[in-house]
Amino acid sequence: MTALLKVEHLTKRFGGLVAVKDVSFELEAGEIAGILGPNGAGKTTLFNLLTGFIAMDLGTVEFEGGSLAGLAPHRIVNRGLARTFQLCRPFRGMSVFENVSVGCLAPRVRHSGGVEARARRILGQVGLGAKAATPVDALPYGDLRRLEIARALATEPKLLLLDEPFAGLGGNEIEPLSALIRKLHAEEGLTILIIEHKLREFMQLVRRVIAMDFGEIIAIGPPAEIVRHPRVVEAYIGRTEAPLGIA
Amino acid sequence: MRRLNKDAIGAVSVLAILALAPLVARSDYFTGILTVSLIFGIWAVSWDFMSGLTGRENFGHALFIGAGAYSAAFIDSKFDLSPWWGLPAGAFAAVLFSLIVGFPTLRLRGPYFALAMLAAATIMQRLTRIFWQYTGGEEGIPGLDPLFDDPLATYYFCLLALALTTAALLALAQSSWGTILRAIRGDEAACQAAGINITFYKIVSLMISAACAGMGGALYADYQQAVTPDVFAVALSITLIIMVYVGGMGSIYGPVGGAIVLALLPELLRGLGEYRLWVYSIILMFILFFSPGGLVAPLWRRLRGTP
Ligand SMILES: Nc1ncnc2c1ncn2[C@@H]1O[C@H](COP(=O)(O)OP(=O)(O)O)[C@@H](O)[C@H]1O
Ligand SMILES: [Mg+2]
Repeated sequence: MTALLKVEHLTKRFGGLVAVKDVSFELEAGEIAGILGPNGAGKTTLFNLLTGFIAMDLGTVEFEGGSLAGLAPHRIVNRGLARTFQLCRPFRGMSVFENVSVGCLAPRVRHSGGVEARARRILGQVGLGAKAATPVDALPYGDLRRLEIARALATEPKLLLLDEPFAGLGGNEIEPLSALIRKLHAEEGLTILIIEHKLREFMQLVRRVIAMDFGEIIAIGPPAEIVRHPRVVEAYIGRTEAPLGIA
Repeated sequence: MRRLNKDAIGAVSVLAILALAPLVARSDYFTGILTVSLIFGIWAVSWDFMSGLTGRENFGHALFIGAGAYSAAFIDSKFDLSPWWGLPAGAFAAVLFSLIVGFPTLRLRGPYFALAMLAAATIMQRLTRIFWQYTGGEEGIPGLDPLFDDPLATYYFCLLALALTTAALLALAQSSWGTILRAIRGDEAACQAAGINITFYKIVSLMISAACAGMGGALYADYQQAVTPDVFAVALSITLIIMVYVGGMGSIYGPVGGAIVLALLPELLRGLGEYRLWVYSIILMFILFFSPGGLVAPLWRRLRGTP
């Protein structure tokens, strides 16, 4: 079986800071995996490199066997690799429905069935069906997080990268969103890679965790092992956050 | 459906008023003022289509207007072709300029596009003075053939041009093309993450905007039967932006109203003599201060009864 995503020796410097350092890993099609690491570990930068928002200094990224090097962000999306942002980035001044329909207008999916019908289906899928006409400026934060996912889903990705989808959510909002992500993985066969800086949200959700610190991968394994891994424990000791999020 | 009907009634009423106005006024002077205000309308909606929808402000729309006006003048005076050729030639020249400025700057974030437009228009204005042998310098190119001999015919042709331009740009703005432009205004990176080639949409929208403005510039040259370097003026670009603001940015139809109101306002204030400019400026500031979303489009939305 070949990997859906194959990353080798990926490196990115910002001046003297090496934000991502010699990162190599693979994702199998149909997998649901996580990236764990304290704030500043380089997780978002890794996503920016994979999705073409930042140019890499060194390394290779292969998606379905083809190189993504040098491709503009929209081209990568149209290959089937979509992402969400850590801070929600809705299109202000537009309705929920219009926000999602922009994703439905990506060349990759534009001609696969009506834009309107697909936008409505996706809104139903993420639980925003009743709020299609609402202006995004009036949307509560939890719904913005769902909208962020809906817009990425609208491009019908094969691989979905979620950057801290639980950030800023209240305790009772986390489980429903977690259930939605599980459903997308199970029912749509979507390959998913999730960034989190607390391991607790991961335990139930992912099968494999890639742990990062200071731009490097320090451990890869199932969540139960990662939480006890000495380098992961060390990375979180003396910081305000504990890997289980209990600090 | 209901809303569409109201919009149609509104559009037909405005058209009817504009069609009847010169017949009622029966004054060549007034018809002339009104003709110019319609041409300003074409320029304002074309500015709004690109800049109002994408949020990429353009401080030098006069570049396209001047390119259109001088092309029409060259066609007429140097090549001795029918003045009708000036319209497509003006649109074409403006599109060329839009590519020269838009291609390198619209892919960048920041104010490069807005400033490059401003600079390009200013440079072109200088060039018309430097190459005075060809452009007539400060005097410009006088003695152009009019499109029509009858000022009323010119007026109705400008009204038709404005109506068609507005209808076409409004239809585009309400299609998925417009959705994408408004998404670009909302967040360019998020738009890319939704798989949209934002540079393509911005450049093609600027070309469309330029084509309309250039055609309007040619129309202006034909109406005046002359061009002068003023068609490249910064003041013209700024006036258009104010018209769009007063009309309601991003609404496309609003700037038509903004252009007509602001083009007629100085005439209405003529009785005030030397205080005219003061009052004009104060009225403008009141509008922009108390109704930052503009006047025309918000008013119409209220009348129509939808947010
Ligand atoms: N565009 C940038 N320019 C300079 N430094 C950056 C940039 N983006 C991120 N960084 C730095 O790179 C490091 C990793 O950041 P980031 O990838 O956002 O971490 P994480 O998502 O794991 O919290 C941080 O030290 C951050 O300050
Ligand atoms: Mg981050």
